[in-house]
This record gives sequence, C-alpha cells and structure tokens, in this order.
Amino acid sequence: MDYRKCAQEIYDLVGQRENLVSAAHCATRLRLVTNDNSKVDMKKLEDVDGVKGVFSSNGQLQIIIGTGAVNKVYEEFLDISGMTAATKADVKAAAAAKQPLPFRMIKALGDVFVPILPAIVAAGLIMGLLEGMTKIWPDMANSGTYQIFHLFSNAAFVFLPILVAVSAARVFGGNIFLGAVIGMIMVHTDLVNAWSVASMIEAGEKIPQASVWFGLYNINLTGYQGHVIPVIIAVWFMCFLEKKLHEKVPEMIDLFVTPLVTVLVTGYLTLTVFGPIFSTLEEWILVAVQWIITIPYGLGAAVAGAIYPLTVVAGVHHMYNTVEARMLSVPKGYNTWMPIASSANFAQGAACFAVALKTKNQKFKTLALPSSLSAFLGITEPAIFGVNLRLVKPLVCGMIGGAVGAAVGSMLGIGATAYGVTGLFGFLTCADFIWQYAIMLAVSFGVSFTLSWFLHRDQTDEGEGEAVAEEPALPEITCEPGKVYAPIKGNVIPSAEIPDETFAAGVLGEGVGIEPEEGVVYAPFDGEISSTTDTKHAVGISSPDGMELLIHVGVNTVAMEGDGFELFCAEGDQVKAGQKLMTFDIDKIKAAGYSTTTAVLVTNSDDYPGLEIKAGACEPLNCVITMKAEEAAEPEKA
Amino acid sequence: MKKFTYTITDPSGIHARPAGVLVKAIKPFASTCTITKGEKTVDLRKLMQLMGMGIKCGDTVEIKVEGSDEAEAAAYIENFLKENF
Repeated sequence: MDYRKCAQEIYDLVGQRENLVSAAHCATRLRLVTNDNSKVDMKKLEDVDGVKGVFSSNGQLQIIIGTGAVNKVYEEFLDISGMTAATKADVKAAAAAKQPLPFRMIKALGDVFVPILPAIVAAGLIMGLLEGMTKIWPDMANSGTYQIFHLFSNAAFVFLPILVAVSAARVFGGNIFLGAVIGMIMVHTDLVNAWSVASMIEAGEKIPQASVWFGLYNINLTGYQGHVIPVIIAVWFMCFLEKKLHEKVPEMIDLFVTPLVTVLVTGYLTLTVFGPIFSTLEEWILVAVQWIITIPYGLGAAVAGAIYPLTVVAGVHHMYNTVEARMLSVPKGYNTWMPIASSANFAQGAACFAVALKTKNQKFKTLALPSSLSAFLGITEPAIFGVNLRLVKPLVCGMIGGAVGAAVGSMLGIGATAYGVTGLFGFLTCADFIWQYAIMLAVSFGVSFTLSWFLHRDQTDEGEGEAVAEEPALPEITCEPGKVYAPIKGNVIPSAEIPDETFAAGVLGEGVGIEPEEGVVYAPFDGEISSTTDTKHAVGISSPDGMELLIHVGVNTVAMEGDGFELFCAEGDQVKAGQKLMTFDIDKIKAAGYSTTTAVLVTNSDDYPGLEIKAGACEPLNCVITMKAEEAAEPEKA
Repeated sequence: MKKFTYTITDPSGIHARPAGVLVKAIKPFASTCTITKGEKTVDLRKLMQLMGMGIKCGDTVEIKVEGSDEAEAAAYIENFLKENF
C-alpha cells in the first residue's frame, strides 16, 4: 500500500492544516484532533485505501489503519502537514536518546526485565524455599511432589531466554513471536543443557560440536539456559534486521521473506557468533574469578563479593557450581565460594529492601519487597534486574556491602559443606560456622542497607510520591473572607486563557486557570463541599461567607468517567484549607488527549463587584483570587 | 406556577459546563426556578446544587417556575433543555 498517498488523502479529507490541532498515533490508529470535526468528510475517509475504519470519540478523530502501517502513514502525514510529533512518548524517547550509552543500555535491560519479573519472582521464591527445605529434610527430594514443584521452580529459569526474547522483541520493536523463536533456538532441547556442561566435562564426556561457516571453525552445541545478555543481543539484532527488511522488501512478498530471512540470519549468527563470543567471555570471567579468590587476607573475597552481582547480570553465575564442586572434591575441603556469593546476594537483597521501605512509589514498593525477600533466600535476579540495576545506586551499595561481608566471611574462615543454596538457607550448609555466618550476613546487610537507605531518592518524575511527601509540609493558614488559596501547585493563568470557550468566557463565573504540576487538589479555603460528581473530576465548595467555588480539573475530562481521578471528600463534608480533596493523574489526562488546565472559578462572581487574581507560578495555598469586598452588592442587572 | 418534566438525552448528563450555561441563562428572570429529581429539589440558580444532583442521561427531571415572568421563564428553560441536554 502507498503510505504517502493514504496520508495525503486523509490530510485533504480532514480539512488540511488549518483544521488540524494535533496528530498522534497508537498501535493501530491515527489520532487527530481537529478544530471542527464537521469539516471532516467521514464517508470519504472510510473509502481511502488503507483506512479500515473511522470514528470520532471525545473530540478525537480516530482513523483505524492497522499495526505496522499506522506509524508509516503517520510519518508521511507529519511530513505532508508540516506538523511535528508531540506525543509524550516521543518527547520521552528524545530525552532518553540524549543519555549516555551505558545508561541507555541499563534502561533497555530494565525495560526488558520488568515485564517478566512476576515469572521469575514466583520461580525464585519456589526455588529458594524448595532448596532450603530439602536441606532440612533431605528425604523430601525423593518425593513425587518435590519433583513436580522442582519443575515449577526452574521452568522460568531454564526457559528464561524465551521470556527475555519475547520481552526484548517488544522493547526493541520487533515481532514478539519471531523473538520467541530466537529464544527457543537458544534453549532447544537438541542442544546440551548449559547446566549439564560442567558435570559432563567433569565426567570426561565429550560435548557435541558442529562445524560452521563452511568448516571455518567448530562450535559447542550447548544451550543458553539461564542466560540473559546473549539473548538480548541476539533479539536486538533480530529487531534491527527485521525492520530493515520491512523497509526494503516489497510488501507483496514481505510476509514470507522477512520472517524467513530474519530467523535464518539471526539464528545462525546467534549460535555461531554471538553465543560463542559470549561463552568465551564467560570462561574468562570464571578463570579470573578463581584467580581473584586466591588473593589472601580477605581482599580477594572482597573483590569477588563486589563483582558477583555483575556476573549475575551477565548470567554466568550458574557456572560457579563448577568452582564449588571442585573445592568440595578435595578431601575435607570446604566450599569457600559460597560465603562470598551469599554475602553478595544478601547485600543486594538488603539494598533492595531499603528501597522498598523508603520509596513512596506504591508500585515500586510492591515490586521491591518480594524481590528483596527472594534475594534473602538466594535468588537475586528479581532484585537486581527489577530494582537495583534500574536505579544503579542500590546495585553499587549492594556491591560495597557484599564486598565487606565477603571479606569478613573470608577472615572468619567460613566454609560450606555443599553448594546450591545461599542467603538464609545457607545456615544449613554452614553448620560448622553458624555464628560466623550470621555475623557475615549481618555485616553485608547492615552496610548495604544503610548506604542504600541514605542514598536512595525517589525520582522526580514520580509525582505522586512527592505530593505525599509534601502533604504534611502545607502550612496552616487562617482564611480571610473573599480569598481563594491555590488548590493545586502549578502555573496560574487568567480564566480567559483557559483553553475552553465556556470557561474562558466566564459563563461559569470568573476566576483563574491553573496548569497543574502535581495531581493533588487541596481545599482552597475552609468551607463545605457543596457538590461532587460521579466522574470525580470536579468539586464545588462554598465558604461560610457565601462564596461558591468550582474546581474543574482539566477540560472535557468528564469523558474520562473518573478514570485517573480519586476523591477524598463527599458532598456536605466540612473541610479545612489545605485538606486533600482529590488526586488526579496528569499523565492519564494528557494521554487521553485533554488539557490538564484546571478551572478554579467563583461561580457566584456576579455577586461581587470584581476580583483580583495573582497569575504566575504558585505553591498550594498561595492566595490566587481576592474578591473585592463591597458589601452592598449592586442589584443584578437584567 | 408552571411546571413540566424533561428527560435528559445528553450522554454526559447535566455536568459542570452546560450546567453553568443554564444557570447563567436564567439569571435575568425574576421567577424562582427549581429542579426536582426523585425526592431531591434544588434551586436552579445555584450551580453547585445543580451539579450536586448528579443528573445523568435518561433521568427525568421536573422543573417548577413561579413568579411574575413564569410563563416566559418556563418556556425559555424548556427550550434550553431541549437544545442542550
């Protein structure tokens, strides 16, 4: 289909530039805001080649075009109309693109991991509990129920590449099913399970190999169970390739050529180039780690404890079992790697726990709490990927805590008699060193938690959290008759400048508009709530001296039917100035395409001879409207 | 006294903005105007009270107008409701 032609026809039928206010698009639709919808020829629009449907909702003209095509039509549309894309997402993306590369990579890693966290939190908790319980009751490992639960616990880790691949494909804008295929290739059952490789080498078995690139070199036919980084690299490449192909390949054969080439090329490169390079790096890391821990006086342990979480990020920590097995194979040998890992894991959990306790962001709290719990049981992926790595600071705090703890552990000479468990259940394998182990965990917890607690700050764009923090800071004020104190933090403008005719014309009364910076409405004076609406976007309040005030959040927000709004008062309530009346979600209002400008109007302003307003930036409870107080109100003009 | 009933057809019901327009529009009349929905009756001139009624699409309201210009006022209000709600 001809995107340019489609865009041009739409442009002409909606009344060209002079009738256009803004243009945005979602996954399937072109969303236009027009000055006058009646100038739009809906019938003809529906007949445009490429348009699957047209309807108008909430003042927005929505043109259904379909996935894949809508963005291209949109780009052409912008080009033709000379408009600029001004969606929030674009602005955000532009802002993100300015950040240095390491931050973008960390952000991408976080974006990929967050959606799959529930899966690995569940698996991590089951795994931690199960391993701990089998240490207490060794017989349990023989029961059928254990075996079934064991499947549940490691399914998400064994097939982690598939989960990661799907999520990564979504983040990088590729087809998620092709992404899933790449993930499946990496853990295909015909490949040797990565976790069996160590024991196979130990047993002297040969790892099957395949000759690739016309006999240029051989690769090990091993899977990538539990891996993260090579999967993300592979899927990133896949998405890049897929997009390029979509551009170049003629649409008629696009559907079979693009997926075919994408999977063939990406799959081959993954198993022969990306994967092997990564496996080699992995081996080097292992060699390096084994050398590091031989450095005496706890120094080596400290370094290993610090870098341990980074190896979790890289996904190579599963290989440490080889090292541990070797330590234990010596007669009377202790596993001295386990305390290092345990300290590092516990410290990451502690850093995450500090964030969980300190953050005001409810969403983050509910994520950080179970993640830290899982880390205390020895499974740190949720805490590291979901919380610590995203914020960076807690990761570093955890690394410091882990280093100190590992050094202490090494100096106390802790050794475990098995491998596989860390964290709290580690006590079971350190039966000879109970108190030493306790001290080590306490040290790593203490250092990491303290640092993380003092360094963590909620990010500024988490407006909700800030508002809660500021709430108690509102001063108590004595209300004077005829004065309205700002109900919202933001920028005050004269009501005539509110982007809505009805408000601007003063039909509902004179007052001000506030362009909100925070989604909280406070009572603007002592008084009684005289009205609320089911849609929760407007509140009326009357003062004892007879002033009636309407606070109407946003323009046209009645159409949101309460979504994103929360009321904290009811009709007839007596309220004090500064009391929280309502919260609203600024982002949601913007996303729905409405202005957030909030009308604060004295609905009976006709009863007063006039009013003074104070425009400009305001904090909650700054005086913004003063009604002129000539008691002898003139008789109403007919 | 004049009275009549009207059923709201506007999908959004009588919400803030059009309610304000209505209140403003009847200001010039001398008659007292009330609106009744179910058991609740309020002064049609009080925007806050009118909004507080929470009148929705499909609700039937009764308007009562009483005073020197009640005929004119009632006709005006009825017409206004038909055009706007």
